[in-house]
Amino acid sequence: MAAALLCWGACGLEAAAAVRVLASGHPVVLRSAELLALTGVNIVLTPLGAFFVLLVAMVAVPATLHGIGYAPHGLSGRMAACTVPIFVTVLLLVPAAGSVATFMVLWELMALSSLALVLADQARRESVRSAGTWYAVITHVGAALILVAFLILAAHSGSQTFVALRTSARHLALPWRSLAFVVALVGFGSKAGVVPFHVWLPKAHPEAPSPVSALMSGAMVALGVYGIVLFGDVLLGGGPVWWWLVVLALGAASALYGSLYAASSTDLKRLLAYSTTDNVGLVLLALGASGLFAATRHPLLAALGMVGALVLLLNHAAFKGALFLSAGSVQTATGSRDLDQLGGLLRRMPQSGALFLVAAAAICALPPLNGFIGEWLLFQSLLHGVDIGNTAGDVAIPLAVAAMALTAGLTVVAFVKAAGIGFLGRPRSTGAESATEVPGTMRFAVGLLVGVCVVLGVLPTLILPAVERAVRAALPGVRQVTLTHGVGLQLVGLRGMLEPAALAAAIVAAVAGVTALRRILSRRPAPTVVEAWGCGRQLQTARMQYTATSFAEPVGRVFDDVLRPVHDLDISHAAESRYFVEAVSYRSAVDDSIERVLYRPPIAAVRRWGQLARHLQPGSVHRYLAYGFGALVVVLAAVAVLR
Amino acid sequence: MAPADALEGPPELSGSLQLRHVDAGSCNGCELEIASSFGPVYDAERFGARLVASPRHADGLLVTGPVTKNMAAPLTKTLEATPRPRVVIAIGDCARNCGVFAGGYGVAGAVGDVVPVDVSVPGCPPEPTAIIEALRGITRR
Repeated sequence: MAAALLCWGACGLEAAAAVRVLASGHPVVLRSAELLALTGVNIVLTPLGAFFVLLVAMVAVPATLHGIGYAPHGLSGRMAACTVPIFVTVLLLVPAAGSVATFMVLWELMALSSLALVLADQARRESVRSAGTWYAVITHVGAALILVAFLILAAHSGSQTFVALRTSARHLALPWRSLAFVVALVGFGSKAGVVPFHVWLPKAHPEAPSPVSALMSGAMVALGVYGIVLFGDVLLGGGPVWWWLVVLALGAASALYGSLYAASSTDLKRLLAYSTTDNVGLVLLALGASGLFAATRHPLLAALGMVGALVLLLNHAAFKGALFLSAGSVQTATGSRDLDQLGGLLRRMPQSGALFLVAAAAICALPPLNGFIGEWLLFQSLLHGVDIGNTAGDVAIPLAVAAMALTAGLTVVAFVKAAGIGFLGRPRSTGAESATEVPGTMRFAVGLLVGVCVVLGVLPTLILPAVERAVRAALPGVRQVTLTHGVGLQLVGLRGMLEPAALAAAIVAAVAGVTALRRILSRRPAPTVVEAWGCGRQLQTARMQYTATSFAEPVGRVFDDVLRPVHDLDISHAAESRYFVEAVSYRSAVDDSIERVLYRPPIAAVRRWGQLARHLQPGSVHRYLAYGFGALVVVLAAVAVLR
Repeated sequence: MAPADALEGPPELSGSLQLRHVDAGSCNGCELEIASSFGPVYDAERFGARLVASPRHADGLLVTGPVTKNMAAPLTKTLEATPRPRVVIAIGDCARNCGVFAGGYGVAGAVGDVVPVDVSVPGCPPEPTAIIEALRGITRR
C-alpha cells in the first residue's frame, strides 16, 4: 500500500511536469552536480520525453493499484515492496535523461529493478530463475551495446549531453553514424522485444507477477522504442534509406513472428508476451516508414508515420496493460494461467471477464476502440507512401502493408482464442470451476486502463495535439499533420479523415437499432434454451470442448515450417496382444524457433567448453601447485630464450 | 409394395425436406434400402429430400430399427435437437412394431413408444419405392 502511494506520488509529480512541457513546448531542465559522482545528473524533459512520461504514468498507476490486491501471489514481501517504487520512478525518469551518464545510470537501474521484480516468485517456481537469467543476460548485453553506441557519438563530440551530441553528430562520418545506429538499434531493440532479440519476453513476462508484467510490457518496452527514436531521429537526425529499411524489416518480422506465436500459445501470459513483440513490430513498421519518408524528403508522411508510431505505443500501453492485469486477476482467481485449465470465467467473474473482452477487442483494432485509431494512422501513412520515388522503398512499403494485414488477422486469432477458450465454455479445472470475482481494487485498476482504451478510441482528438508536439520535437522542421476539428480528425495535405466519435455513435446506434427492431418485429416464439448438440451423447464433459491447442491447430498446420511444433505420441500395448492398447499419451509443444536456432547452439557450445575446462580444476592441490610450477618454468624459459 | 401408413407431413416441409437418419438398433437391412433410395437408380433427391449430417440441419428424422435401451435417450435428444416444424419417419417393420425383435431383452420398444411418429413405412425391409413414396407424400413433388 505504501509502495503504491509512493508510486502514485512520483507519477503525479512527473506527469504534471510532462503536461506542462507538452502544453508549452519548452523543455524542463534540472541539473545537479552532486547527485551523481563525476558526471552529475542532467534532466531535460523534452516534449518527446514528456509523452513517454505520461505513457509510463498511465500504466504505472493502475498496475500498482492492481498490485495491492495481487499481493498474496507475488508482490508481497519487503523486496518487491521496495523495488516497485524504484522501478516506477526510474521508468518515469529515463525519458527525461539529458546526458549519456544520466541515461545509462537510469537505464541500468531500470534493468536491475525489473530483474529483481521478475525474480519475485523465485522461491515458488524453478522456472522463474531460468527466466531471470535469460532476461539478465539479454538486457545487459543490450545495455553494453547502447553504451558503445553512445560512446561512438560522445568520443566525437567531446561532451556527453544530448544537446552537444546532437550538434556534433551532424559532422560525424557516415560509416561511424551507421555503426552507432545499428549498434543502438540492436541494444534498444533487445529491450523493446524485437525479433530476434525477443526471447526473454515469453520467458520473463509469464514468470513475473502480473502488475510487473504490465509495467514491463506496457512501459519498459515502450522505452526501448523511445531509445530508437532518441538515437535515430533526435541525436543522429535521420539517416540513409537502408537504416530505415532495416527498421522496417525488423518491424515486419517482429509483427509476423510475434502474432504467429501468440496465435499458437496456450499460456495466457506467454500469449500476451508474444503479442507485445507483435505490437512493437507494428510500431517499428511505423518508425521505419517514417524514417524512410524523411530520407526521401517526404516530411509530411514522415511526421504522419511518427504520429502513428507514438499513438500505437500509447494504445499498446493501455490495452496490453489491461490484458496483463486481467491475466493477473485470472491467476489470482483460478491459480492458473494455462488456457487449457480455464474456461467459463465470464459467468464466474462477469466484470473482469467483460473488461478482458473489451481490451481484447481493442488489441484486435476493432472500432470504436483505440487500437483502430493507431492502425488507421499507420495504414494511412503506409498507403500514402506507396510511391515515394525510391526503388527499395517502393518495394518495401507494399510488403509492409501486406505484413501488417497478415499480422492483424493472426492477432484476431490469438485473442479470439484467449477470450473464447479462457472465458467462455465450461471450466476445465477445479480452479476455474471455483473461481470468484477478484477484489474491487483489481477490477477498478483494469477498468481504468480499459476506460483509456475507450476514450482514446472515441476521442483521439484529446491526445493528438500532444502527440504532434512530441513528434515535432523528434522531427525538427515539420509542420502539423493532423487537424482536429471538434471530435473529428483530418490529415493535412493528404486525403484522409476520420470521425471516431461519429463512428462510435453509429456502431452503438446500429447495435441498439437491430436489437430493438428484432424485439419489435420478431414474431418468433421465445427461444428455448437446450443443451448443446453432442451427437446424442449421454454425458458431456468439459474435456469435449475446443482447447487452446486444438483451436490454434489449423494455424500451426499452415505455418508448420516456422513454428515446428514438437509432437510426441506414445502408445503402450498390453503384454498379451498388440491389439489391446493400455495407454495413449500425447504431448505437443511449440518452442520458440529463433531461440532453438540462434540461441541454443551457442549456449550448448559454451556449456561444452565449460565442461572441458572443469577438467583443469579437479580440486587437487597437487595439480594446482604443478600448474604454478609449470607456468613459472614456461616464463623462465621464455625469458631465457628471448633475452 | 405395401403403402405407407400416412402420407401427410407439415405443409411447411413441402418442396424441400432435410433428413437426419438415426439407426436406433436396426439390423442394417433398412439402411441398405435407404442408401439405395438415395442412390443413382432411385435418386430421392429428385423429389426434394436430402440426407444431412446433423439434426441441427434437419427438418426431420428417419428412424430405423427397434429402439434399443442404449439408443432410447440419444433418440430423444436427437429429436430435441431438431428444429420445428419437424417430421419423424419410422422406416421398416421393426420401427413400427419391433418386428422380429419384439420382446428382446435389449429392446425398449418401437419408435412410436419413444418419440411421436408422423409417418411410417412398413416392410422388412421396405423397398426403395415405398420409402420414396412416403417422402414424396411429405415433399409433395
